[in-house]
Amino acid sequence: MKHRVAVTGMGVVAPTGQSVAEFLESLLSGRSGAGPISIFDPGSLPTRIAAEVKSTSSAAAHWSVGAELAPPCLRDRKISFAFEAARQAFDAATACGTVPNGEGGLSLGIGLELFSMEDAVAKRRGDRLPLNRRDRLSFLQTPSDLSVSMLTARFNLTAPPATHVSACAAGTDAIGSAARMIAQGRRRWMLAGGADSMINPLGVAGFCSIGAMSTSNDDPAGASRPFDRRRNGFVLGEGAALLVLERTSDAEARGATIYAEIAGYGTSFDAHGISEPHPDGRGAFQAMRRALDDAGVEPSAIDCINAHGTSTPKNDAVETLALKRLLGPRAHQVPVCSTKSMIGHLISAAGAVEAVAAIACMNQGWVHPTINLDEPDAACDLDYVPHTARRHEQEYVLSSSFAFGGQNASIVIRRAMQRRRHEAHEVFSWKE
Amino acid sequence: MRSDIPVVVTGLGHVVGRDCDSTRFLKSRKLRKFMGRQDELAVVAAAHAVEAAGLPPALGERCGLYLAVGFIPFERDDLDLLVNASMENDRFSMERFSTTAFRALNPLLTFRCLPNMPAFHVSLNLDIQGPYWVGYPGVGQFYVALEEASAALACGAIDVALVGGVADQDNFLVQHHFSRIDHPLDADALTSAAGFIVLERQPDAARRGAALKARMVGVDLRYCPADPFEQSSAHEESTTVAGVAGFGPASLAVALSTAPPGVFTHAVRSRDRFLASSEWVIE
Repeated sequence: MKHRVAVTGMGVVAPTGQSVAEFLESLLSGRSGAGPISIFDPGSLPTRIAAEVKSTSSAAAHWSVGAELAPPCLRDRKISFAFEAARQAFDAATACGTVPNGEGGLSLGIGLELFSMEDAVAKRRGDRLPLNRRDRLSFLQTPSDLSVSMLTARFNLTAPPATHVSACAAGTDAIGSAARMIAQGRRRWMLAGGADSMINPLGVAGFCSIGAMSTSNDDPAGASRPFDRRRNGFVLGEGAALLVLERTSDAEARGATIYAEIAGYGTSFDAHGISEPHPDGRGAFQAMRRALDDAGVEPSAIDCINAHGTSTPKNDAVETLALKRLLGPRAHQVPVCSTKSMIGHLISAAGAVEAVAAIACMNQGWVHPTINLDEPDAACDLDYVPHTARRHEQEYVLSSSFAFGGQNASIVIRRAMQRRRHEAHEVFSWKE
Repeated sequence: MRSDIPVVVTGLGHVVGRDCDSTRFLKSRKLRKFMGRQDELAVVAAAHAVEAAGLPPALGERCGLYLAVGFIPFERDDLDLLVNASMENDRFSMERFSTTAFRALNPLLTFRCLPNMPAFHVSLNLDIQGPYWVGYPGVGQFYVALEEASAALACGAIDVALVGGVADQDNFLVQHHFSRIDHPLDADALTSAAGFIVLERQPDAARRGAALKARMVGVDLRYCPADPFEQSSAHEESTTVAGVAGFGPASLAVALSTAPPGVFTHAVRSRDRFLASSEWVIE
């Protein structure tokens, strides 16, 4: 018995929006969230731009929901983002007046631990650990799994949580594996997604040291240019997205709005290079193929691809190869879009935020654009929806994340049935 | 969760301690420069488990890897180098960090501490192209990995599951973490280790004539959410093998790998609020 899995709540904190409606509007407008780094002084680091979550939005006030539990942890931005995204998702899932049935669990993709260089200096001076338990737990390094404990406590999620650290694939893994747990009857409902912020001195320096990021400091908005000939690395982003997933039958019975269904999930290893994908796109193809098999649909059913699309020289060309192999002759007819062109690479949160992007756009009958695609690379010859959003009805969307270290994850998202789709459309409407 | 899936353990492997050389198991010696200690521990323990199972060294698409990784390790010398190069007038200087310290930063450090890298190195050197699950950072996540592996075997998604735990705990950053929590642990109590088990469906194992190493009798996994900033209870872990506990996510697999024939039990009440237990029969 395989249960269908519904998305009944979504929440997002992204560089271009701190609610699903705000995020959708910015996606369809093709707005970049990149700019000079302002969270800290990047000094003379080779990369001094990023896509930061702006603290000026009204949604920032809601971060105090998290602050009630953990004020000191606000220095680790990803915890605040996770809390806000979870709040939005849970509010949406319970807007009908009922709560999901049974025991809930958490499946969270988390980024690296925040490491404070100032605290490292203090420790070197011989400063003692703070006396307060809360301060101690964020001194020098804030454990990433703290967000898991905080969220399960806040939402009383009593099923054993899963904490994913598959790097850039973690957000997709968190959603996909949660959906599978529900589909197989191992969990009843889940809060699933990812949260990350590596926009800190050590995070940015680490990515700079391996040459992964764009150094187009003079043109932040144009720096993330997936599939373009002049792409030169990714732009680091930050944020979080959480989804409430539950059995479709449960959601229907309690009258919840169904935004979409997670129909399939597939993963694979490249088993190839530490920082480069398999040259034939072998692992990417396998993950996408397995997700389709899990969903029980053929490649011909896929109407749109939300690509990994990092803007790195190697990924975009290899992802294109893998898509051609998967889709065959149809490859040139299926729109492929990169959310990262606008919000940068959110690392462990990327797949989750991109799932929200895919679902929100699908429910409006639009595909968001891949911005900055001025001169397509010769090796990137698919329809990437350059510059402007496009009207396009979608039944199935494939969303993928391919991690550094060769961990590949894909999910198949299915549009909600007609009567539920109308409600989802009404919740987040967008007009030209 | 009750385990009624007919899966058996056909391979066990483990390694304990700081000194670990994975060279014998690497596809290329050049890869070793990218590896941190947790990567080496994972590769050696996984390779031992696969060898013990009598499986070929290239496992391919029908093998999945399910791995729980311990807290991120970082050595004091590496940190001191960064801090010293970033100081100006006895204070941290971002300008110095972004110039002098950045130039001194070994790019390989980034590869050596990432929690998804043990999975990468194991998959590369054992040519695993199947599905994966990578969790963090305690023994509770090992139990979730076990659940995922069992489910994948039960639904036929894979034929072989390599389930492991790895924790490099004998280093500055992990020692810092365990020194600041309720019921802190001394550095002496923190040991680096990795353990892996090979799971297969019983009929498949019998068909290829694999020797059974153990049977999973039952697993119970629960969770009790609580505010992490409130006083927590001490980590409690017990097994039928004396002295084998406290290896973080590697504990159960290491204990299984060293257990004598007979009934084996493991139980844990972890700081991160997992309540887990399992019973096995070691052949």
